[in-house]
Amino acid sequence: MIWATWRMHRSIFLVSIGVASALAIWLTITGLIEEHAWTIFVNHHCSLNYPGSSPVCSSSYSGRGLFSSINSALCNALPVVLGLVLGAPLVAGEIQGNTNRLAWTQTITRTRWVITKIGVGALVTAGIMGAMAPLIWWWTNVAERNDRILPFNFDISGFVEVSYALFAFMLGVALGAVIRRIGWTFAAGIPIFVAVRLGERDYIRPGLLPPTSVSVSAYNPGGGVDWVLNSGFLPLGDFAPPPGQTWSSNDQTIASCQGSGAEKAAHSVTYCEKALHLHYVEQIQPASHFWALQAVESAIFIAAAGVLLGLTVLAVRRWRT
Amino acid sequence: MVALETSALGKRYGRKWGLEDCTFRLPAGRIAALVGPNGAGKSTLLRMAAGITRPTAGGVRIFGHSPQEQTVEVLRQVGYLDQERPLYRSFRVEEMLRFGRKLNPTWDDPAARGYLAELGIPLEEKVGHLSIGQQAQVALTMCLAKRPALLLLDEPVAALDPVAREGLMHVLLRSVVDDNSTVLLSSHAISDLATVCDYVVILSASHVHVADDLDYVLASHRLLVASSEEASELPPGVVVISTTNSERQTNVLVRVEQPVIDPAWQVIEPTLEEIVIAYLRAPKSTVTTPGPTGDGRLGEGAP
Repeated sequence: MIWATWRMHRSIFLVSIGVASALAIWLTITGLIEEHAWTIFVNHHCSLNYPGSSPVCSSSYSGRGLFSSINSALCNALPVVLGLVLGAPLVAGEIQGNTNRLAWTQTITRTRWVITKIGVGALVTAGIMGAMAPLIWWWTNVAERNDRILPFNFDISGFVEVSYALFAFMLGVALGAVIRRIGWTFAAGIPIFVAVRLGERDYIRPGLLPPTSVSVSAYNPGGGVDWVLNSGFLPLGDFAPPPGQTWSSNDQTIASCQGSGAEKAAHSVTYCEKALHLHYVEQIQPASHFWALQAVESAIFIAAAGVLLGLTVLAVRRWRT
Repeated sequence: MVALETSALGKRYGRKWGLEDCTFRLPAGRIAALVGPNGAGKSTLLRMAAGITRPTAGGVRIFGHSPQEQTVEVLRQVGYLDQERPLYRSFRVEEMLRFGRKLNPTWDDPAARGYLAELGIPLEEKVGHLSIGQQAQVALTMCLAKRPALLLLDEPVAALDPVAREGLMHVLLRSVVDDNSTVLLSSHAISDLATVCDYVVILSASHVHVADDLDYVLASHRLLVASSEEASELPPGVVVISTTNSERQTNVLVRVEQPVIDPAWQVIEPTLEEIVIAYLRAPKSTVTTPGPTGDGRLGEGAP
């Protein structure tokens, strides 16, 4: 059955590997170009114009957006496209071509049939995505440097993309088993995947690990940019808005202290903070949480894929014409 | 031993019943023809027997087991040829055989290669490049090489020319005789079936009308012919299946329990085709299911 699965879906497997390889070459080339541009900027522009202050200069580098948006889009799209391309035809393709009637009357139970097919497909999906992930990460590091925990970078860093791809794959398989048409499976799968991913990113990921709150003036970032979830002026000693207040409750107080109109900036923020007994607090997922967040989020997407696997087995076993 | 048994089996598609209240038994070792017009429920019946479709009502048993459970033991005993002849079109014929070998412990590879050689189908050809007829032959080979105890064949000879049809039937028959397997095959070509089958199941308008030995079916039906003016009362003890009136003569196909002797009627032994057509033509309400006659003869003592 493993051979049969490979043989049945060989062409789509090979096309996926081919397209992924093409993307890999593209990322390598654009990554090298960007790295080269960066090196020139730091070594020539900065060292010539701002001798001795190259960190300040290099942080002003703006040329990294050369391929940034197109490559971010490609890397974000890869897991869902790969997963659905490999997952959607797995069951729906057979039902559409009536070959399920052939397969289900061989001496093999439907459960074993579908589990084997899913196993092979998942392995191919994880294999391709697993090979691409380090390359994508190399590219994001080149382009984005040390802010990998920020949502837009996090999604295309580390190994979390493999779990997205596996989830998209199982989504394609499960929807295909219910919808039974490859085209409609795609049409339904893409918006569902996007909704799940964005929903997870915006509402679940911030709380996956307990966030840390820091008083910014006393905070010494440990290296790397932190992911700021909330921030605001809070009473000294408080690290979360007291009851009845929100993160932005004291913004107005600080603004009036600073003065307005012609008198604006009569007082500095620091002065006002002291005068009003406030301090500026950021609630963050520190950069150090990166790997832990990657692991927890991957586990969540893989668990969701597991649930879809169960539903697929049920759908195939209970399938009616 | 009973190879296939259905009890009040029914399948509803939306509001319409594709097959309704279907009850019959097929003794092991028979080659049974399943005949009926398009849409009579033949494919539905075969698909439920193969375990692909779930019944809405009633049940079906294959050698005493429900095919819906899809256990490996049941699957091993059934060779099913779907009406659509599904095959993996991108596979070479050779690879289709490998597929069969990998998925069936009872697979007989020499036999499969033998059939294909006999039918002149090249093993290295892609399935999708074969003619429709050759695809049908590969699909049938897939069923036969599994060496199943029960073959469920949906229109195995449709789309075949007469020569190919004969070749395929020859392969089928030899395989069946070798293995002493049971066959339930549906077809429109009633004349072909009469020469190979020894059992007949007539299905029309979602109901089973006849399920019995071919010899008995032939012996228990008579065609009564009289000129239209002379057509009078029918002989006693006959059950009318269908009547056709032309200007000159009246033909009545009847079921009988005893020989008919009536000078008013010319009594003719009908062909299977005539009997089948009579049942298919009969209005639903006038048809009586041959309950006790059929069932009584279907047990272990059946000839």
